[in-house]
Amino acid sequence: MENPISYFFMSWSDPYLLLMTAAGTFAGVYVGAIPGLSVTMAVSILISFTFSWDTNEALALMVGVYMGGVYGGSRTAILLNIPCAPSAIATAIDGYPLAKRGEAGTAIGVATVMSFIGGLVGILVLAVAAPLVSEFALMFAPRDYLLLAVIGILLVGSLSGESLAKGVFAGALGVIIGMVGLDPLTAEGRFTFDSITMMGGIHYVTAMIGFFGVAEALAQLHHLETPAIKQKLERITPKWSVVKRYIPLSIRTSFIGVFIGALPGTGGDIAALMAYDHAKRSVKDPSRKFGEGAMEGLVAPESANNAAVGGAYIPMLTLGIPGDAVTAVFIGALYIHGLNPGPMLMIETPHLFWFTVGALMLANVFMLIFGLTGVRLFIKLVECPRAILVPLILILSVVGTYAIQNNVVDVYWMLGFGIFGYFLKIYGYQVGPVILGVILGPLMDVSYRRAIISTRESFGDFMLEMVTNPISALLSAALVFLVVSQTPMYKRWTNKRRSV
Amino acid sequence: MIKQYVLGAMTALTVVAASTASIAAEFPKKDLQGIIMWGAGGATDTVARAITPMVEKQLGKDVVLVNKSGGTGAISTAYVASRKSDGYTVLYGAENPQLHKVLNLSKIDYTDFYPVNILAHGIAVIVTNNDQPWNSLKELVADAQKRPGEIKMGSTGPGGLPHVVGSLLQSVTDYEVTSVPYGGEGPGLTALLGGHVDFMPAGLSAAAEHIKAGRLKVLAVVNDSELSALKGVAPITKDFPGFKKYLPWGPFYGVWVKRDTPDAVKAKLVAAYKEGAKSPKFIKMMQGRGNIMMNISGDEADAFLKKWQSITAWVLHEAGATKSSPADFGISKP
Repeated sequence: MENPISYFFMSWSDPYLLLMTAAGTFAGVYVGAIPGLSVTMAVSILISFTFSWDTNEALALMVGVYMGGVYGGSRTAILLNIPCAPSAIATAIDGYPLAKRGEAGTAIGVATVMSFIGGLVGILVLAVAAPLVSEFALMFAPRDYLLLAVIGILLVGSLSGESLAKGVFAGALGVIIGMVGLDPLTAEGRFTFDSITMMGGIHYVTAMIGFFGVAEALAQLHHLETPAIKQKLERITPKWSVVKRYIPLSIRTSFIGVFIGALPGTGGDIAALMAYDHAKRSVKDPSRKFGEGAMEGLVAPESANNAAVGGAYIPMLTLGIPGDAVTAVFIGALYIHGLNPGPMLMIETPHLFWFTVGALMLANVFMLIFGLTGVRLFIKLVECPRAILVPLILILSVVGTYAIQNNVVDVYWMLGFGIFGYFLKIYGYQVGPVILGVILGPLMDVSYRRAIISTRESFGDFMLEMVTNPISALLSAALVFLVVSQTPMYKRWTNKRRSV
Repeated sequence: MIKQYVLGAMTALTVVAASTASIAAEFPKKDLQGIIMWGAGGATDTVARAITPMVEKQLGKDVVLVNKSGGTGAISTAYVASRKSDGYTVLYGAENPQLHKVLNLSKIDYTDFYPVNILAHGIAVIVTNNDQPWNSLKELVADAQKRPGEIKMGSTGPGGLPHVVGSLLQSVTDYEVTSVPYGGEGPGLTALLGGHVDFMPAGLSAAAEHIKAGRLKVLAVVNDSELSALKGVAPITKDFPGFKKYLPWGPFYGVWVKRDTPDAVKAKLVAAYKEGAKSPKFIKMMQGRGNIMMNISGDEADAFLKKWQSITAWVLHEAGATKSSPADFGISKP
């Protein structure tokens, strides 16, 4: 490593690279805010598009799109209750109630600053501790992924709203949707009814667009006549005193984000949900009740999902192992540009590591700038009459769903989910647990089976490893604590202790 | 009456023939669509995105790339088969469809398509992490025979490369390991690096960087001679000469159109891809990933596909891993 600092600042000092990063981030912020247009898709299109470019220019553009895109989903989540990326699901829970109070401007401002802080923590960990974190991530065995997924599925409790039974039902529905398709381990068809189109399964973004986008659009039809809520727009950039108040939580959840992002089997979506859960459990006196517009419920997922970007780069740059779907595409891009992503990447081309870190940092800064500007215009767009907005959302949902796998069957599923989700909403079911089930169901399924195959189908050995392996033991303990801490007995005990 | 009918039919035929000829002469009039069998970021996707810009230069039109993954490729083959046979929809695929019939995944395989180009084939290696005591495949097999089922092999599910190489080896020498399936070669190798599985047969392209970095060691190369890229690693035939009859065997990448596409269109596509695959940039990328360039098409490619299918399907069948017998589909025994 001759001169990491000069590589770090390469994208800052070269005007063309600076422009590319800025353009990428700008595009990302808006691509992220369109239902169904995912960051993965945008980056893979850019691969062919930038094929003949210089590697650095191509990377600068793609890094910008990635950073901006992860953040972009939060805007529609807050304003319309439609998270346009899986990592923004948790943002909608408290973000939308804020918008209903006319505080969307403040909410977007806080979300942007927290995304910036999260991004910063992610990049710092990447720069300082990448090799260490990636070695640790490798130690995660299938049973540890199972434990993580089970801890995640406990979130159904946080997301079910008025009735836990309804939440569990919605979660189970999600798990079943996630099962459709070829069994990932044996390629046996599950719920495919011998149809080739069912073999591909149901993409979780299809379910997400249906249950969130279309269902919400249909629900809004009830309020066609009610005028849009006037948003207070005097101040978008939050006061330093406000930011300062949330920094501890933001940093805590950023670390959750970096780590979950660095694990090769999990990404920003799970990170954001876990961060939300962490906030809900650890913050004793939130600004409002969680689910009714608590700022903490916005800070946690927004910090975590942007921190997960830096996290996802950790195994990619140190080992050539993708941390999430987007970094997998980045690896393909590096191959095409004649580089060999792998453990030798940092030794053979150290400049690439520092260049990426620098470009990420730059993109993070641009994200802050573009995030805090243009909000007024964006909010004005959303304030347009529902009779215009709702059809627009439906059209974007259809286009976005088709674009996932260029499969019209996905569109049918999405519309079906939308109508079903509308009725779920009417009868007081939350749709959050459905998506949680779709994301975590398959992870639990394959992780459990891999774990049990690894112990040669001995349940005793499987349970033994749960407590003898240090990582598994720690996760098991966390799981037990999370469950026990919700029992009336434990609550009585802690209350008694407090009063004594 | 009959005369009129015959006359009509003849005119129709002439018109069809003339229009086919003109279609071919003008091909391509519009942009093509390239369907990629696997998702973004995978090996097939990378190959497709690297060759396409070279071919676009030859064709003078764009090839719009679309990932249509799912069903280990069955979704994309079904889709391309349902399109017009006009050469405007090309399929970028890997070896998987050749096993779809015996695994009951799809009734479509590469006999329904015309190989425009089989670009390259990969080489399989058997790798293990540095914590394992074995230094050759022979030692691994001996250990597995001593404690059957205790050693864990990373795999990618039925019909995947690790499964096939494992079955080929089992047909040569008897041993028993526990196979733990992962979502692909990448995740499987990640598990191997973390010590969650003990060894794994994998494509050289996926394992190359970890080998170069000294994090994984190669026990054998699934080839009949030493590779220049892996000096000092014994070919599998050294300790297991019986393996020779299966070689060369490896995953492959190629481009197909529907079998009944007009010949003139096929010829244009073949010429464009043949020239594109000669590009030094493409060759460098492919070889850098441990692939062996093939750049073959037509009958030569069909013969390769047929041999691959016959060897692989029958070995899997004899290992009890198929749902239907290859004989049911007229796949001859090797």
